[in-house]
Amino acid sequence: MKGFLQFAWKEVLEIVRTWRIWVLPGMLLFFALSGPLMARFTPEILKAVGGSEMAALVKAMPKPSYLDAYGQWIKNLSQIGLFAIIIIYGGLISAERKSGTAILVLTKPLSRTSYVVAKAAVHAAFLVVSVCITTVITWDVTRLVFHKSPGGPLWSAVVGWLALAIFFLGVMTFLSSLLDSQAGAAGIGLGVFAALGVAGMWEPLQKFSPAGLVGAPTVLAAGKESAILSPVITSVGLAVLLVMAAAEVFRTKEL
Amino acid sequence: MSAAVEIRRLTKAYGPKRALDCVDLTVEEGSIFGFLGPNGAGKTTTLRILTGLAKPTEGEVRVFGHDVVTADNTVRSQIGFLPDVPGFYDWMKAREFLRFAGGLFGLEREALDSRVDVLLDLAGLTDVDTKIGGYSRGMKQRLGVAQALINAPKLLMLDEPTSALDPMGRKEVLDMLLSLRGRTTVFFSTHILADVERICDTVAILDHGHVVAHAPIDELKARYGASKVVIEIAAGADELADAIRGESWAAAVERDTNGTVFVTVSDEDAAARAIPAMVAQRGLALRRMEAGEMGLEEVFVQLVGGDRT
Repeated sequence: MKGFLQFAWKEVLEIVRTWRIWVLPGMLLFFALSGPLMARFTPEILKAVGGSEMAALVKAMPKPSYLDAYGQWIKNLSQIGLFAIIIIYGGLISAERKSGTAILVLTKPLSRTSYVVAKAAVHAAFLVVSVCITTVITWDVTRLVFHKSPGGPLWSAVVGWLALAIFFLGVMTFLSSLLDSQAGAAGIGLGVFAALGVAGMWEPLQKFSPAGLVGAPTVLAAGKESAILSPVITSVGLAVLLVMAAAEVFRTKEL
Repeated sequence: MSAAVEIRRLTKAYGPKRALDCVDLTVEEGSIFGFLGPNGAGKTTTLRILTGLAKPTEGEVRVFGHDVVTADNTVRSQIGFLPDVPGFYDWMKAREFLRFAGGLFGLEREALDSRVDVLLDLAGLTDVDTKIGGYSRGMKQRLGVAQALINAPKLLMLDEPTSALDPMGRKEVLDMLLSLRGRTTVFFSTHILADVERICDTVAILDHGHVVAHAPIDELKARYGASKVVIEIAAGADELADAIRGESWAAAVERDTNGTVFVTVSDEDAAARAIPAMVAQRGLALRRMEAGEMGLEEVFVQLVGGDRT
């Protein structure tokens, strides 16, 4: 257990002291700050750059509300956010194998299972904390801009998205312990993302699998109802299974 | 004395290629063991199996009596390992890395702090405050040796530990290994024969996945040195060397510039009878004739062939 905690602490330090602290949180912070402003001022911007024709079109559009800001936030998470997770975590396990650091660590009393689980757990926590902090920021900015920001639609959508993101972290943990190539793992990860989009069209999968979380957060952010409990449970459960499978694959690998 | 490492019929195959083929080795506890071999002989593969990084195809590998395939942490807590090219977290500093490595062994804070100080001093990195990413290869190698010693291991395994070091760095590492004699079993692979000759008690020579020699270093040199004869004559060394080359018992003949002829012989008695007669027949003045000692380099070249190092 000491070895597990020591290695997990190393992962935390690595996040804080390297590019990792800037890329995902930086990107999320940018979306958190710009989303509500874009939602609020897009009509004005369109009018300013589009002339009289655009002004007429904008006049016909409904007045922007806090729901547009929420929609903007979830859209950014669902597209660019998931792509970033898939690409960043394509080398979660393989990068240390290739750099040789895994050899120094794994010839000490740290099991390969602990190695994989510590990495997945720390990065899942990092993901959750980053998204929660930036969600609070976008929530506050929305309140400032629109003077109204009920939490229900925003947080239910974020919970749904986080479950999907954790599922993808599990997928990437598995793929990066299976493959040496970060690009290869990321490519397959993007393939899984596309396959989930298609699978979501079949109702049973939409109701009970991570495929149901591809579109549900957008629906929730728009203030509508969507049942996400089953897909959330399935996604988190599958993520755990994928990390266990990654540990088993890594345990049998030669370094 | 009991065995620190026991390897029996170890075979490692990658597809049809056998990197190791039925290797048998025993390393006594407390000894400094040199594992010699040309590049590609299988030294690193053996070390990877010993440390649990790779699995044997066949055979049995035991460290302090534990099977390395099934023992997991039991073995790992007793060993220190330095790979040929150690990979570090570039964003850490040396002290931090050593503390991290010690933490993986579950060392308590006080013991760890004092051990880190000693090892930083040993590695000459006490006053270095830069991140590891800015280190030279030699500094990384010294840090690698230090991290391998963080748990005061019973068995220290090093893969080519001196190959990246300058002469001073090499001397420091070898002196450090020498200081461990009797307390820690040192198993190190190298192709630098002078290093082995300087500090090892026992040596094994690996070639194409086979152990071609395994003995205490003095015994090995004596075994092969006995078949060498050194002849020193006042003049006419070239003529004598040419004559000896034609004899059936002469495996190899060399000579230096000051009249000394070195003969590797296949039949010592025949050489002892024939050489004085050949000297007398040519009217040459014999100054010295003795069994010469073959250096480890010559033993190595003789055993694995001179076309590789």
